[in-house]
Amino acid sequence: MIKLENVTKVYKGEHVALRDASVDIDKGEFVFLVGPSGSGKSTFIRLLNREERPEKGVIHVAGKDIGALPGHKVPDLRRNVGAVFQDFKLLPSKNVQENVAFALEAIGRPRSAIREAVPQILDLVGLSSKAKNMPDELSGGEQQRVSIARAFVNRPLILLADEPTGNLDPATSVGIMKLLDRINRTGTTVVMATHDRGIVDTMRRRVIELDNGRIVRDQVRGVYE
Amino acid sequence: MAVRLDYVMRETGSNLARNFTLTFAAIITVAVSLTMVAASFLIGQGINNSFLGLRSEQRLFVYMNPTATEDQTDAVSKALDDSGQADKVEFYDRERTFEEFQTLFRDQPDLINSVKPEDLPTSFRVKPKSTDAEIVSSLGDSLESLEGVKQVAYAAEYARDIQRSVTTLNRWVQFTGVILIAASVLLIFNTIRTAVFARRREIEVQRLVGARNWFIRMPFIAEGLVHGLFGALLAAGGALAFNTLWKRNFVEQVSFELLNQIRWDTSDVVMSVIIVFIVGAITGAAGSGVAVSRFLRI
Repeated sequence: MIKLENVTKVYKGEHVALRDASVDIDKGEFVFLVGPSGSGKSTFIRLLNREERPEKGVIHVAGKDIGALPGHKVPDLRRNVGAVFQDFKLLPSKNVQENVAFALEAIGRPRSAIREAVPQILDLVGLSSKAKNMPDELSGGEQQRVSIARAFVNRPLILLADEPTGNLDPATSVGIMKLLDRINRTGTTVVMATHDRGIVDTMRRRVIELDNGRIVRDQVRGVYE
Repeated sequence: MAVRLDYVMRETGSNLARNFTLTFAAIITVAVSLTMVAASFLIGQGINNSFLGLRSEQRLFVYMNPTATEDQTDAVSKALDDSGQADKVEFYDRERTFEEFQTLFRDQPDLINSVKPEDLPTSFRVKPKSTDAEIVSSLGDSLESLEGVKQVAYAAEYARDIQRSVTTLNRWVQFTGVILIAASVLLIFNTIRTAVFARRREIEVQRLVGARNWFIRMPFIAEGLVHGLFGALLAAGGALAFNTLWKRNFVEQVSFELLNQIRWDTSDVVMSVIIVFIVGAITGAAGSGVAVSRFLRI
């Protein structure tokens, strides 16, 4: 599903964010990216939905060399790669269901399909009762659920999560992880960058550790360190 | 997968309302610029219309020396008849020339008083059969070589001189129009950029979920189009007002010798309005299209 071959990413010609990274991630895997701040986790994630392009190496996502993808094909890639962030990136002027519907409107889905899909996904993330609430009326955990709903409402093949529990307390984080686990069980590949030792050690999934842009460990059913 | 019209309208509407002051400023600038464009077009048309007649008119003025004898004058008259090129010949004797002189310089009585009929040259006003400039000028040359002839002048040359200076004026008006269009493109550009900046989070989310660039761009282009078209609407009013004022103040006033020659008809006014709308629409859409593109680089 995801294949990196000798990928190097350099920012502004000097700071090397990722060095010669090679990874193979199968369909339906759940992968944690761990490592200290600045080790290249976010860059790894950003390379997978073509927010960044590598200086060297090849990245295959769902069978396509995404480095060679022309600009007008990038939206097609992103429709298959959902993304969730630490800061949720919700639109403050739209309520919960509008935030989720916005993702479907943006890719030109017909209104009837949107009306059907949004309540379903809100049910999945457990927010049916808050469909009309504005983001600032929700807790951090609830906001992250909305953000996951938005990323997943289009049923992408891959879900990228960059520190999704970074702003949440441990109890709330557990809820979010259960949700991501549930999404993973539907066959969606999940790649999650995290600092949360507790989560990694509890879930015992594949762990890829980065340090200073290098992959220093790749362990099946691994722990944080 | 088509862009839904209601989506574009809703987004455009909220953009316009959110930036009301800037929207207003953009529309006014576009309106002023386009009014200038319309005015310069009308003046240009007017100039073309008024000099079209003069340009095709190949008339000759054969001025005699004040000292020319009657025989010499008769010889010129005969030469004109013999050439077979003259369609119509009018002889302006001293009295007739003086009358014309009085009419031409009626604003300057001092000049009229200082000139007596006998100071003025007599002349032949010749309308050649041919309008071919070469034939006319060879006729002129043959007359100029006759004794007693001071100078042969051509009406077309005079027309060209005037036309040249009015064309320069026209060029300045057009130049101003272009500068103003550039200013309105920049203002629309800036307005849209502000709108884009205000909505950068939405654009970021749209890009993340895989919206196509033209889908993101569409509401902004529509917004620019609204600026352009509303500006054009006001400018169309401006063009009509300019048309009315010009007619009232110049065309219908006999005293404006030169300016009342510059006139245009209704079809020119309609054309100017069409131009205003086309330029307005292109300016608005292009300005905003460029502005939003800068935020869509992948």
